[in-house]
Amino acid sequence: MRASLENFLASKYGEWFIRSIQVGLGLLFIYASLDKIMNPGLFAKSISNYRLLPLPLLHISAIILPWLELICGIALVINRYQRAAYTIIGGLLLVFVLAITSAMFRGLDFNCGCFSMDSEESNVGLLKIFQNLGLFFSCVLIEYRTRVVQPNS
Amino acid sequence: MLQMKKLVKDILTLVTVSTVLGIAAQTVLPNGIGLRTEVTIIGDDSSEVAIPAVSINPNGNGEAAQNISLANAYKAFQNNSVLFFDARSPEDFGAGHIANATNLPVHAFMDSLTYLENLDPDGHIITYCDGEDCNASIDLAADLKMMGFSKVNFFFGGWQEWRDAGYPVESSP
Repeated sequence: MRASLENFLASKYGEWFIRSIQVGLGLLFIYASLDKIMNPGLFAKSISNYRLLPLPLLHISAIILPWLELICGIALVINRYQRAAYTIIGGLLLVFVLAITSAMFRGLDFNCGCFSMDSEESNVGLLKIFQNLGLFFSCVLIEYRTRVVQPNS
Repeated sequence: MLQMKKLVKDILTLVTVSTVLGIAAQTVLPNGIGLRTEVTIIGDDSSEVAIPAVSINPNGNGEAAQNISLANAYKAFQNNSVLFFDARSPEDFGAGHIANATNLPVHAFMDSLTYLENLDPDGHIITYCDGEDCNASIDLAADLKMMGFSKVNFFFGGWQEWRDAGYPVESSP
């Protein structure tokens, strides 16, 4: 099972498959960043709803995070700095999962601020956790292929 | 080892570029925010809470809704000169709410536009939710301000403070 997966990933089709996941992930993060970049105040408000970050870190996080999503998204699409980009994105996704889970356990109910600042966007919940875990898994798969084709990396 | 060093270096590069662009963008964007988090102190003599200013006025323009104390909210209630909007879910509203309040869940704001359009835009409105643990009253007040209502307050003490004070409440069947 594992050998056939590794054979597939090392093949030309495997390369295309992983490349399309990488580009898809990149485009998704570019899209997710735009509304946040244009509305930094709304995004800061969205982060503050989670009640996890100390207040002094709120604005600086709202300023940097969307740009980090955009730059990493572009890096994945153009295939430059891609390993750093999916490592950062994977880390961000894990943080998002922890934040949403923690909000759910504390009974907080608000717009998750994941893809847009639209007040009609879905709220924190299990669906958002599974979405983020799915995206995290795609980062893991890209890294797995890197290790298959470059065993010393 | 060499690969790991390169990875760390590349991560730092991406983070640095994002930080520089993010900070630079705030000087260009009409609704850019500062690096320092501004806070607004809300409350009365008995308790004060610091909340980020962006929670009340996320776009930093226009006049933001202000907090109203329990005493002043009750005074407005007694004068019958105010509409109370309960920003909580219909379930919470049904379990108990300020007497004569109208349920207007903040997540369903768009569904209430027809109702809101028929109200006096200069009438006094007070929004509330559970209490200090929720932001729905602030969000709803911001939405109402954005819609053009001129006299909007949020009652941050909310349902809990009102109920604990023994002021008039009712529940829906």
